[in-house]
Amino acid sequence: MSTLSRPEEQTASEKAYRVIDTDIHHSLPSWEALQPYLDEPWRTKIVAPNSRVGGLGVEAGRSRLDSTPPDGGTPGSDPEFLVQQLIVENHVDIGILTGNIYGWNVHPNPEYANAVIAAFNDYTIDKWLTPHDQLRGSITVNANDPEAAAAEIDRLGPRDDMVMVIIGATSTSPYGQKYYHPIYEAAIRHNLPVGIHVSAAGTGIAHSATAVGTPRTFFEYHSGLPRIYMTQLISLIGEGVFEKYPELKWVFIESGVVWLPHVMWRLDKEWKGLRREVPWVKRPPSEVIKEHCYFTTQPLEEPPNEDWLLQIFDMINGEQCLLYASDYPHWDFDALHVLNHLPPNYRRAIFQDNAQRLFNL
Amino acid sequence: MARHLVCRASDLPPGTRRIVTLAGRSIGVFNVKGEFYALRNACVHNQGPVCVGRVSGTYLPSAPDEYRPGLEGRVLRCPWHGWEYDITTAESLIDPTQKLRSYPVTVDDGNVVVDL
Repeated sequence: MSTLSRPEEQTASEKAYRVIDTDIHHSLPSWEALQPYLDEPWRTKIVAPNSRVGGLGVEAGRSRLDSTPPDGGTPGSDPEFLVQQLIVENHVDIGILTGNIYGWNVHPNPEYANAVIAAFNDYTIDKWLTPHDQLRGSITVNANDPEAAAAEIDRLGPRDDMVMVIIGATSTSPYGQKYYHPIYEAAIRHNLPVGIHVSAAGTGIAHSATAVGTPRTFFEYHSGLPRIYMTQLISLIGEGVFEKYPELKWVFIESGVVWLPHVMWRLDKEWKGLRREVPWVKRPPSEVIKEHCYFTTQPLEEPPNEDWLLQIFDMINGEQCLLYASDYPHWDFDALHVLNHLPPNYRRAIFQDNAQRLFNL
Repeated sequence: MARHLVCRASDLPPGTRRIVTLAGRSIGVFNVKGEFYALRNACVHNQGPVCVGRVSGTYLPSAPDEYRPGLEGRVLRCPWHGWEYDITTAESLIDPTQKLRSYPVTVDDGNVVVDL
């Protein structure tokens, strides 16, 4: 029996629609917690020193200080506390968990990574999804082993409580290339969108965080993250992935969106002259992006003039493609009210309609 | 102005703080090196609970690769997105015109009193 209290009366504008939060990073309280879900040799290895992907701390940055559970554990690791703090207090109706394990695609040992990722999926189902019907999960897969990834999607895809496939944004080659296509075929088999999320560059077998080497500070690294998503989107277009897989939907999680009009216009302009090299790109890329790609709002850019943000949203057909996300418990998360200055049609679309349509909620 | 008693001054030694609700408002009361300050518990940025953040010093503006520690014990960092404020002036370190709401604090007969 849940002892969580229901929130006070919501404002009238919130009551008219549900709030769907599309990016919640739940986490393990410790690596020991994963051991029951692992076979040997991985069960022993996971708690050995220096045996894990090094970059996870960098990409997580600091978490919100007030997201530490009452027992003092890792932020995001206590399901009851997360549900109370984020779902109940933040008036969220459905929370989609994205976890923090997709970055293992750059671990040098894909067998190990496959095992750890599958164990994390099982842990998520066991400790998070089964006890809490406000939550949905993402099937994390090892993007560096597309056959194994497809098998994992086939294993968990039939579950109603899994609504997305999630992979790390940092890969060792661009995601449009056919090496990765078994993942997309599996996602389509189960009617699941593919989400990419920031994951550690410059660690494991990944290339450096930029095309010109490694930045010195987290400030530089984090400021430049949209670069990685831009590269992946251009690859999906240039390789004709959405031509090959017309049912495929992609979610760009935590990418920001203000760079998107630039990329849309540049792709359209380049395509007009260079079409011959990519004859499978049959329509302006911006149209393809608008039909297949969704973007989460967090981290919401903060231009000095709020109207400019709305103009950007209009340029990218944001009313159809934007999804609210908090990115709880990370330091750069977005509270619900940062979208208050948007007009009601945008709020309803971003909080509910687009996620409902994309994830079949 | 309404005067609100927070606690005995001896219960709020230097380097400590209390978060209290006065007239329905969440307010952080800080003792910085023997002086008391009261700040509204709402960050200028996104109205996060700024007063629960870490208090420390910071690194002042400097030349590249130069580190100038300063404002020791005076800097409150919002737990949400890291914005820094000087407790003693309520000003944010990135823009002095962005300030937390602050309230006068006096010690009256051994009691810490905030004027709202």
